[in-house]
Amino acid sequence: MARFIVRRLLWMFVVLFVVSLITFVLMHAVPGGPFDTDKPVPDEVMANLNAHYHLDWPLWRQYVQYVYDILVPRLTTQRPTPSLLESYLIDVKIGNVYFRWMNFGPSYASKSRTVNDIFRDQLPVSAQLGVMALAVAVAVGVPMGILAALRQNTIFDYLGMAVAIFGVSVPVIVLGPILVWVFGVTLKWLPPTGWGAKPPYLLGVLPRQVSLDYFKFAAMPAVALGLGSSAVLARLMRASLLQVIREDYIRTARAKGLAEQLVITRHALKNAMIPVATVLGPMFAMLVTGTFVTEQIFGIPGLGKYFITSITNRDYPVIMGTVLLFAVILVLANVAVDIAYAFLDPRIRLS
Amino acid sequence: MRKAILIMAVLALVAPLAACAAPGETPPVKDTVTAGTPQVVEKFITATPGPTAKPKRPNVVRATFGPGDVPTLDPAVAQDTSSITVVEECFVGLTRLDEVTSELHPGMATRWDVSADGKTYTFHLRKDVPWVKYDGAKKAVVKVQDCKGKDRMVTAYDFEYGIVRAVKPETVSPYAYVLNFAIEGAEEFYTGKSTDPATVGVKALDEWTLEVKFLEPAAYNANIIGLWTAMPAPKWVIEGDDCTEARGERWIEAGFYQTFGPFTLKEWIHDSTLTIVRNPFWPGDEWTPQPKVDEVTFSMLDENPAMAEFEAGNLDATGAPSTDIDRIKADPKLSKLLVIAPILCTYFYGFNTKAPVVNDVRVRRALSMAIDRKALVENVLKGGQEPAQWLARPGLAAAPTMNTHPDLGAKFNPAEAKKLLDEYLKEKNTTADKLDIVLMYNTMTTHQQIAEFVQQQWKNNLGINVKLTSQEWKVFLQTTKGKDTPQIYRMGWCLDYPDANNFTREAVASGGSNNPVDENGNPQGGLMWKNDKFEKLVVSAAREQDPKKRVELYAQAEQILCYEDAAIIPLYWYTRVTVTQPWIKRTFAVGGHERYEHWEVLQDK
Repeated sequence: MARFIVRRLLWMFVVLFVVSLITFVLMHAVPGGPFDTDKPVPDEVMANLNAHYHLDWPLWRQYVQYVYDILVPRLTTQRPTPSLLESYLIDVKIGNVYFRWMNFGPSYASKSRTVNDIFRDQLPVSAQLGVMALAVAVAVGVPMGILAALRQNTIFDYLGMAVAIFGVSVPVIVLGPILVWVFGVTLKWLPPTGWGAKPPYLLGVLPRQVSLDYFKFAAMPAVALGLGSSAVLARLMRASLLQVIREDYIRTARAKGLAEQLVITRHALKNAMIPVATVLGPMFAMLVTGTFVTEQIFGIPGLGKYFITSITNRDYPVIMGTVLLFAVILVLANVAVDIAYAFLDPRIRLS
Repeated sequence: MRKAILIMAVLALVAPLAACAAPGETPPVKDTVTAGTPQVVEKFITATPGPTAKPKRPNVVRATFGPGDVPTLDPAVAQDTSSITVVEECFVGLTRLDEVTSELHPGMATRWDVSADGKTYTFHLRKDVPWVKYDGAKKAVVKVQDCKGKDRMVTAYDFEYGIVRAVKPETVSPYAYVLNFAIEGAEEFYTGKSTDPATVGVKALDEWTLEVKFLEPAAYNANIIGLWTAMPAPKWVIEGDDCTEARGERWIEAGFYQTFGPFTLKEWIHDSTLTIVRNPFWPGDEWTPQPKVDEVTFSMLDENPAMAEFEAGNLDATGAPSTDIDRIKADPKLSKLLVIAPILCTYFYGFNTKAPVVNDVRVRRALSMAIDRKALVENVLKGGQEPAQWLARPGLAAAPTMNTHPDLGAKFNPAEAKKLLDEYLKEKNTTADKLDIVLMYNTMTTHQQIAEFVQQQWKNNLGINVKLTSQEWKVFLQTTKGKDTPQIYRMGWCLDYPDANNFTREAVASGGSNNPVDENGNPQGGLMWKNDKFEKLVVSAAREQDPKKRVELYAQAEQILCYEDAAIIPLYWYTRVTVTQPWIKRTFAVGGHERYEHWEVLQDK
């Protein structure tokens, strides 16, 4: 197991290297630059801006510097003046030495912040919402799929699948404003927009205070975001369980007189979870790194919009940072899924 | 490893739930706003209105910025509406523009003397304004002391430092060029030809007297020195001194940000809300009084969520989304809160005057005259915009107005347009439907709707089938500034400073933003247009001192631009559609930077 994880983590660095290189080349291939505006600045100002952010360097050198700034720690004995170009994710004082590591660069558009600031302040919000949305998705989708499969071709099945199809086909952009209108504006039960926690976060992700109001803010976005995913899970769960309960080993279990409930919980469900676990990995990565539309509708200060706006702004360090972050989380989530396989199916060995 | 992941996942799920189980123990919400501010109470009282006696309304304004974080609060670096709004509330320049009338008033300088040659200005500062900051522990705005414990006052030295800092290359101010063009020695310092800050023509003669040397004896010098880029800056916070730790570029965060204007920064939750609080130490004057409201909170929201918050009673003022305008107008309650105010921007189409077909002035003029701008405003835009006949929007200093020049520029006249086009077609021996014309806009729904309307107008009135095409914004910007500029392209222009010079000259004259030239002065993209008479007119209009003569000169220039040469098609002059709660008394800023010291929360409404 340990060897498996170490091997996968080593592979992750290869993946990240390839992802970063492709992203770097693609984003510089797109026409337009970060400082192009409809009122173009004079040449000397443009030159100064480009020089400040090293955009006047040849591309290969910019890439090497980018990787170097992330990988190589800096050690100083003097307290450094806060700076946007020199902002490190890990910035601690050990003895007399300042140890600073992982500089993902400044944001060109948000001129007062760095990519690390955006990770620190925005990722926790997206992660909190994502985990809650995933909880909604699992809590609604999995039981619904199980019920539909066990009661195939009954009213439960049809109802469940009708809800699932509704969930898949009504996007957040429709469901969100409807929820806001009903519960936020008309009934005034829930705040229409906003998020119930603010930085700094506990352990970097958790809200410092959790009260009923925190959930009031989270309720609508979590439901809106989770419902669509729950539909995917429900359909998958149903199909997978239907297949499993026709397998020979289920027949064997029944033949040896095991109670139906035990047959389902102990034998059928465990196996039927494998495809569900497979989609949960990428789904987790998607939800936790933020979703543009949901954040926009509910006014949530998450990371999702940076995936989109960084590209329209040609905000190169933010593009690189968000893409790499997504890649890291996706790889880790997939490792977790692989580990889950070993539990769900005893035939699977990780080594 | 596996355990760690599991524990983290469980923690993330359970920790909130556990706390939720005992709601009696947790204090009321403190999550969005600092505890103890009256605002929190308001938020939840308005959310559940009861029949009991009305509580006193908190003396705060809840406003909005668009989605996304406020880019910066550094005066030298600011260049967008939300940044400038906050900067101008926290700082006051030497001079200050009236946000409604665009008149120039004294700011930190109570008066100024101009030398005989009109280039050297001596500003005399007021002596009673201290630097302040918000102290989170004391929950109050406090004066800032120097290392000897004396209050720091805003002096001419702070102005000198701030202005020189703005043109220092290391500051990378994108707006520095405005100062570079106006102030002696600024450009040399910016480009590194001089490394001595003393060569910049800004000098503090003593604590309260600042001398500024300008390059030109221009009428707008006093305007430029009042811009947010030319604000003073607290050197001791940025660079550090004996008793203050250097904050570098990070001096603009809450708790460190030192200012002196009517408001100062209280809290900035990035990407979410920004709160400014009344500065009790701002002495106030006739034009920039002490604020009547205690706080202003800006929520960074998209238009539609902001409208929902407004209707839920949680916002005091916001822009109305164009998709909601019909509904708001029909709603008996909301329609009373709707105000359409002018904003100093113009929407227009540019011609690449060197491109096939539209290189003939008759075609350009015909196209311009064949658009019914009134119908565009009434049926497509619906926001009370004004049909535009020329570029420099009325309301700018020295710009012609519809009252004084009702027949100036481009007007809807389909018959005349058809006649012009027929003349061209006959000469070229072709027909209207064979003309190959492309209209390009940047990808956005409103631009597409406008382009489709215009396409239809040209089809109906001239029989021309124009092809529509769109590009992503940054790609579009490159295309329309280069040799590949399409025949017709969308553009807009908003003021940098409220003078016709900023529009008629800086936007479209040769070398202007939409009419770039190479180093030899040859057209390089955009309009690809140069008319010597026009160039002479706009230069003499800038130098002319008599306001009435200036208007006439700009009117003549606009007639060339929009009619005789028809290099652009003016479409409409912008308005801003806003809704404001009935208990707010407010002003409407024509430049988009609101001044909340002129706002009031009324208790009896």
